[in-house]
Amino acid sequence: MPFCKGCGHSHVLRKMNEALVQLQLPASDVCLVTDIGCIGLADALFDSVHTVHTTHGRSSAFATGIQIADALLGTGTLKTIVLIGDGGAMIGLQHLVNAALMNANITVLLCNNFLFGMTGGQNSAFSPFAFVTPTTPRGNIVPPIDMCRVLTDCGAEYVARSLATDKELGTIIASAISHPGFALVEIVELCTEHAMEKNSLTGKSLARIVESHDQHFGMLTGSATRSEFSERYVDKYPPRSQETSDNGKYLTPLFKSGLTNQVGIVIAGSAGERVQSTAKKLCEGAMNSGLWCTQKNDNPVTQGSGFSISEVIISPNEIFYTGIEVPDVVIAVSEDGLRELAEKQTLSHLLPSSTVILDSGLKLPPTNAQIFTYPFRKEYGADKAAGRAVEFYLQMSSLFSPDSFHL
Amino acid sequence: MTTLSEPKLRFCTGNQMIAEGAVRAGCRFFAGYPITPASGIYKSMIDLLQRRGDVAISAPDEISALAYCVGASMRGFKSMTATSGPGWALMIETIQYALMTETPVVIAFVQRLGPSTGGATQGAQGDILLSEFCTSGGYTIPILCPSTPAECFDLTHKAFAWAEMLRTPVIVLSDKEVGMTSECVDFARLSNQAPPTRKHKSDFASSKMYDFAERVEVPEYLSVGGMGKVTATGSAHNKSGELKKNDTETLEVLHHLEEKIRSRRSELAVTTFDGQAGAETLVVSFGITARTMRETVRNVRRLGKKVSALSIQSLFPVPDEKIKEAMVGISRIVIAEENFSGQYRSVLAPLLYGKEVVGVNKIGSMITPAEIEEQIV
Ligand code: SF4
Ligand SMILES: [Mg+2]
Repeated sequence: MPFCKGCGHSHVLRKMNEALVQLQLPASDVCLVTDIGCIGLADALFDSVHTVHTTHGRSSAFATGIQIADALLGTGTLKTIVLIGDGGAMIGLQHLVNAALMNANITVLLCNNFLFGMTGGQNSAFSPFAFVTPTTPRGNIVPPIDMCRVLTDCGAEYVARSLATDKELGTIIASAISHPGFALVEIVELCTEHAMEKNSLTGKSLARIVESHDQHFGMLTGSATRSEFSERYVDKYPPRSQETSDNGKYLTPLFKSGLTNQVGIVIAGSAGERVQSTAKKLCEGAMNSGLWCTQKNDNPVTQGSGFSISEVIISPNEIFYTGIEVPDVVIAVSEDGLRELAEKQTLSHLLPSSTVILDSGLKLPPTNAQIFTYPFRKEYGADKAAGRAVEFYLQMSSLFSPDSFHL
Repeated sequence: MTTLSEPKLRFCTGNQMIAEGAVRAGCRFFAGYPITPASGIYKSMIDLLQRRGDVAISAPDEISALAYCVGASMRGFKSMTATSGPGWALMIETIQYALMTETPVVIAFVQRLGPSTGGATQGAQGDILLSEFCTSGGYTIPILCPSTPAECFDLTHKAFAWAEMLRTPVIVLSDKEVGMTSECVDFARLSNQAPPTRKHKSDFASSKMYDFAERVEVPEYLSVGGMGKVTATGSAHNKSGELKKNDTETLEVLHHLEEKIRSRRSELAVTTFDGQAGAETLVVSFGITARTMRETVRNVRRLGKKVSALSIQSLFPVPDEKIKEAMVGISRIVIAEENFSGQYRSVLAPLLYGKEVVGVNKIGSMITPAEIEEQIV
């Protein structure tokens, strides 16, 4: 093995091999996903199972993707095993947490030797208190993470902590692999190269140090009450041999329009008052009349309050540039909308040929445009004001037949 | 004689059409994380894939989203994710991994105003360099850039075809204005190509993960879970996929990763040339600004001016031959793009030697037809 003499990784890999032999899995049904660090050298030792050596901390995310794809789109026979160190487990915490929450059917073997072995023995999030490393020369002052507890709290149902030298480790790994859902075994081990000299650490004192941080050994949870992710997914979204026919989702123009020029229309109102859906209806009416159209919506970041604006272009020809520099038509039906138009200086640029359809409750700043007012809000209510105002405009313009506009 | 089929119209955004194109290309796995202006792709993929029983899932972050997709692709299924600048920043680690392991995956990257979180609802074409030059070592990442919803469909389909054919990640580089503007799309006029297929290795006698004789060859696939053993690593490796340091075969693999793409750049070129006899000015653009360019060209030709225009859909590998062809007889080149420094112009510069080159650049809103017209003399 490519590890230093006495390194815990050698024990772990021997035990994992034992587990694979014990389970009698076909090699093609096993995928070993390794992380970065000394433990990531494991790939080369397995010459029949699939091996995927990934980036630092991401091993469990790649494994989750592989596993879900196999379960839902493939044969569903693949066993995906992650080998990760303590460094990788912390930088990839998010992926472990999510795999546990999802109950993704992967097995994670977390080899915890309290430090980053490959890069020179720097302290990690798993280093015990007072642990001396090149980067904690006077002793670590941050408590170690209890990953087993974190993941148990995330709903992981198979969580165990063991020593690399534990005789039962092979059996524990085998039962973790067999567990239907997310399983994690934290294996506490010794980095003989970096951990021992400054910490008077021995194989024997390992367990005591871990326990002094209120972290325990043995099976920490071991039930199977939650179904795993793919099972729940397939329950909600069963495979379909054929895609549902998409007939009827298309529109075929029934009307004709005599429109000769491109028209830019800005509809301004308030959130929740159907401005954008009215604009969409306007566009569908245009499409129904054989015209081209585009729609852009704008609203504040919080989508449920403040102004709501739609910019619509309708044209007898293909529309290239989708912006409206000076609108031909402005339809304003609320204070919020009008204020936003004023702020954007849309109103001050209007031309004498521009048309403004305005709710009569609103006060328009001075403009060159032709103004038409009507009490849309009062007559039809706030949520119908935009629609009625568009209808009003269609009646007076020759854009397209109002018959193809359905609110 | 051509038969014009009855129009099948739908009012769709570019984002929706990326999703439609992906599904038509056989994408069966999507993992997403919400971000404006790309969230529409996420939502559409959820709708389209889940009802078929294919996989569309939520990831806890963009790193996971792309890693799930790469995992699914290694298992043998076409996959895609979608993001914008801030999410892309998180994906750069994983796209390099996909490149290194020769795993196809498609990333729909809908640009917004940067830097940092920038402007979530403002369009931009400011991530041309960030998306292309994101690998240690400077490898070519193919990038397709749509300007309309119909192109979103076609180019996403093509992105999958390229990803499968080249065994590499491919980016569809859209932007907020293309992605979030709804337009009339005629589905009867969309290309109806068959989904690309993956060429799997059938001879397992050779244990090589990446079997190629010449650098430019694309090796056949082995899938995790299949009969041939997969040996994948993001570290430098030989043809067997074994981690190695600087031996001849490993360096050969590192060259191969680039050569398999670069050598095909003519065949990968996608451009639309609208040439006019006697024109001395050529306008070049892409994405949303290519539409402004088309509008400008329509306007100035009405005024009797002569101008040629080149829309570039395949930004990378740079379609150099197409650009050189378009430059014949041209003395002035106007390059319009919605970023302040002329990012793509800087990429094209070596090709434009000896010509008068002018940039039309802007941030914050779309370049207008008048702004391009000013530069056409
Ligand atoms: S440095 Fe430590 S972890 Fe790495 S092989 Fe040596 S003993 Fe094992
Ligand atoms: Mg370690």
